[in-house]
Amino acid sequence: MSEFEEWARATYRQSSIEVDPSDLALIELIYAGTIHQLEALDHIDLEKFPAVGIDLRHAPKPS
Amino acid sequence: MSHPQDWTLRQQAEAVRRGDLSARELLDATIARIIERDASINSTPVIFEATSREELNPVPPGPLHGVPITVKDMFALPWRAARNGTSFDLIPASASGPYRNLRDSGVVIVGIANQHELGIGTTGTESAYGRMGNPWNPGHCAGGSSGGSAAAVSARLVAGSLGSDSGGSTRLPASYCGVVGLKLTYGAVPYDGYFGAATTFSAPGVLARDGGDARMLAAALLQRPLPQQSGSGLRVGIIRDPFWSDVDPEVTSAGEKALGAAGWHVHEVRLEHLELAGAAFLSRLIAETGVPPNDLLATLSRPTRSLLLAGMLAPARFIPRADRVRAAVRESLAKAFQSADFLCWPTTPAPAPPLDEPRVNLPSGRAFADLSNVRQTLLANLTGVPGISIPIGLHSSKLPIGLHLLAPWGGEARLLDAAEHLERVTDRAFVDLVPPLAR
Repeated sequence: MSEFEEWARATYRQSSIEVDPSDLALIELIYAGTIHQLEALDHIDLEKFPAVGIDLRHAPKPS
Repeated sequence: MSHPQDWTLRQQAEAVRRGDLSARELLDATIARIIERDASINSTPVIFEATSREELNPVPPGPLHGVPITVKDMFALPWRAARNGTSFDLIPASASGPYRNLRDSGVVIVGIANQHELGIGTTGTESAYGRMGNPWNPGHCAGGSSGGSAAAVSARLVAGSLGSDSGGSTRLPASYCGVVGLKLTYGAVPYDGYFGAATTFSAPGVLARDGGDARMLAAALLQRPLPQQSGSGLRVGIIRDPFWSDVDPEVTSAGEKALGAAGWHVHEVRLEHLELAGAAFLSRLIAETGVPPNDLLATLSRPTRSLLLAGMLAPARFIPRADRVRAAVRESLAKAFQSADFLCWPTTPAPAPPLDEPRVNLPSGRAFADLSNVRQTLLANLTGVPGISIPIGLHSSKLPIGLHLLAPWGGEARLLDAAEHLERVTDRAFVDLVPPLAR
C-alpha cells in the first residue's frame, strides 16, 4: 500500500467514510492535481491581499 | 397550426392570455411533445402528468399564466423533494424560494430537468436518471450541470427551464445546446429549498431560446421588471488570455464575428489576480461541497465520488487565503467594469464533446471538457456577478457555439439588452437555428 493510500484510508476511517479500494488510484490522481493548483495560494503576499468582508450580492465597496 | 412548443415563451403566454389556446391545451401538447421527443436526449426524466394538470386549478394570474416549464432537480417543489441528480430525496418536498417566485408569475411545472450528478460536472454524462444527449447530436454532451434544462429548451420540449449555476452550470449547457442561459447575481432570489443555499457560488439561472424569453423568465424569477434598453454602442472588455487564446479557432472566429456584427466598442482588459482565480474557486468550492453520507456516496458514479473524496483531503490552510484572493479579484473586476459595460469571451472553449469521451482539443492540447469549461465561467461564481451565454452559430461539427458576457452585480437587464441587440443585428440567424431533433 502506498503512503498516500495509507494516509487517505486513515483519514476516511477517522470520519467513518467507507471507501471502495478501487477508487483510490483515481482519488490520488485528482488529489495531486488539486494540490498542484491550490499551492499557488501558498505564495501570495498577504500584505497585497487583505482579509476583507465579502458580500457577493453587491460590488465591493471602494477601498 | 404549428405546435405551441415551437413558439417562444412570449408567444405561448400571449396565446393563453388572448384565449387562442387554453392552459390545459398547452400543457397537454407539451406533455405529448416531451413523451414523443425526449428518448434520445433524456432531458426530462420525470413528467408531472397529474400534478401539473392539478396545478391548473387555478393558475395564478401572472405574466406567464399557464406556461409550462421544467425545473432542475436542485429545487424542492411542494410535491417533490430535490434530488440533485441522485436517487435520494435530499431536500424535502416544499415550495422552494425560486419555485414560489415562478409560480406567482403563473408558470406550470411540467417536469424535472435532468442534471449532472450533484451538480458536479459540466458534461451531463453522470446522473441517476442516465446521461443527457445534445439535441444537435444525441451522441454528444448536453452539458452540465443544467444539461436537461438546456437540451429540453433546444429540442422544443419546453420554451423555458429553471437551472442553476455554481461554476457555469447554466451558461455551459446553454452554449453546448445553442440556447440562451442567464445566471443571476448571487443572492438575488430566496434560496430556501435550493441546493445553492449550501454554497457561496451558486445562483439560479434561466434557459430559454432567445433574449426576450430569458428576460421574461428571469423577471418572473427575480420578481422585478428587467426594463429593455438599447444594446447598441456598449463598451466591451475582452480578456485575451486564456479566454480567447486557448480556444478552438472556429470558436474564436465566431466570437470575433459576433462582436464585429454587434458594433460594440471593444477594448482589451487586464484583470489583476486572474491567474489565482481558479485556485481560490477550487479551494472554497471543495470546502463548501463536503462529502455526503455513506449510503449516498456508494450510489454515486466513480468520477463524482472520487472528486468528493479527493476534495476532502485538501488541507484547510488554503481557505482563508482563497477568501483574500476572492476579495481582490472582486475588486479588480469592479475596476474593469468602470471602463466596460460588460466583459466578453467564448462560453465553452470548444463545442460539445462526445458523451463517450468528454474531452476537447485546444491550442494548449487535449483537455478534459470539465476543466476547460469551468475555466471560462468560474469568474462569475467567484465574484457573484451575473453572466449569460448567447448562441452565435455553428461549428463545422454542426454543434453550437456560445458567447459569454459578464455584467456588474445586478446587471441582468444589460446582459439581456446585449443578447437582444445581437439577435437583431444578425436577423435572429443564431437563436432561430433548429437542431435536427426538432425539425
